[in-house]
Amino acid sequence: MLGKLLKYDLKWIYKVVVVFYILSFIFSIIGRTLGSIENSVIFSVVSKITFGFAIAMMASSIINCLMRLWSRFMKNLYKDESYLTHTLPIEKNTIYLSKVISAIICIFTTIVVILACLFICYYSETNMQALKGFLELAASTYNTTVLNLLLLVSIVILLEIIFIVLIGYIGIILGHKSNKRKMVKTVIIGFALYIITQIITLALIYILGLFNSSVMNLINTTDIINVDAIKTVMFYGVGIYIIYILFYNFLGKMAFQKGVDVE
Amino acid sequence: MELLECKHLCKEFDNKQILQDINLTIPKGKIIGLLGKNGAGKSTLIKLINDLLTPTSGEILINGENPGVSSKEIIAYLPERTYLDKEMTIKQAIKYFSEFYSNFDTEKAMKLLKDLNLDISKKISKMSKGMQEKLQLILVMSRKASIYILDEPLGGVDPATRDYILDTILSNFSEGASVIISTHLISDIERILDEIIFMDNGKIVLTSSADELRNKENSSIDEVFRRYFKC
Repeated sequence: MLGKLLKYDLKWIYKVVVVFYILSFIFSIIGRTLGSIENSVIFSVVSKITFGFAIAMMASSIINCLMRLWSRFMKNLYKDESYLTHTLPIEKNTIYLSKVISAIICIFTTIVVILACLFICYYSETNMQALKGFLELAASTYNTTVLNLLLLVSIVILLEIIFIVLIGYIGIILGHKSNKRKMVKTVIIGFALYIITQIITLALIYILGLFNSSVMNLINTTDIINVDAIKTVMFYGVGIYIIYILFYNFLGKMAFQKGVDVE
Repeated sequence: MELLECKHLCKEFDNKQILQDINLTIPKGKIIGLLGKNGAGKSTLIKLINDLLTPTSGEILINGENPGVSSKEIIAYLPERTYLDKEMTIKQAIKYFSEFYSNFDTEKAMKLLKDLNLDISKKISKMSKGMQEKLQLILVMSRKASIYILDEPLGGVDPATRDYILDTILSNFSEGASVIISTHLISDIERILDEIIFMDNGKIVLTSSADELRNKENSSIDEVFRRYFKC
């Protein structure tokens, strides 16, 4: 049943998001093509404008992805369509899991599309050399390889966006436990949870600093940044985000499993 | 074992009692009218049975089990609102039902749709509200369920459509199944009812066999209802 639910969830979300993917690719390719025409001021200007549109479409892809995920969650589980969703012979856990997995898939594909479009827009020998040089410098500074660095940054971005989506889901579930001003409460609860979690993150880093003087230096001095301290905080951050995601996923599942009160 | 049982069922919203100590038993093979004025608690009771609301206290047992996957497998529910994804076509809606409900009869649904001369490639959003309601009724009645729960199926439709709806219900529910119809339009359905349940202010105020009540009161159920709920 999970596969069937996922099929319908992904179909609904991608129906709009794919349009932004296509527009991102179209503007990237047009911009790239026009930019490759040499000795033409007009084509160079149009190319830069088209790259601007491409960047706007990439930003819209990620914004629309988040909005469609939350919108699907709310419409499918608390509005008119919920009368069908909740009467399907499927475990509540499976319904919730489908929403979480579809969020991970959509965010992942959106990040891949954005990276692909950026590659189309800006790929050149000199740009690649510059990027390679920058990454190698960064990687050697952090005493790691380029691949590890890219992997770590990608994981942090992916985890952060999944965390934001889950916070939104919890906001919707808890906001809809009440009978009045559900939407307002949804936004307030989601926002409050995000802020509280970020404060807890800072507190945890401070606690880490109590046991690690170089991390504490990042908090209470303006000395030259210690690379080892940044690496420690980054790995610590990945761990914390994974715990948050597991915790919020568990919280959402439990709150959802207790039962719903549809409108 | 009874098909459906409610024991001391209560539902509160913001400290306001919507349902109070509902005790109810639904036997197999009956057509039951859940009757009451607007706001009597009929839809709340139906939503609780369908796991769309969580009881404040009390218990619901369907075939001896709390509402869950197994109860949803045997209950075919028609809500008072349109619940289909309006971006779907009729064909896609049928596919959706056949994928999720193992007891959905696609052939029966296609036949009923053909009788209505509906183009199955039509988008639901392009259909009138009346046609959307008919489509939902067809989808629900095409399931081989043990309980059909129909919430206000006759609300806001013309007399010809009411006849169509009642005929569709009567000629399509599975043998041995029970049908619960919630409505306040009693005159239209009283001819088909075996049992009646009167609800008022969140309570069940009367349960009786339809024939017994008619004989006892020497009048139609519609008249009994009007006397009972006179403002």
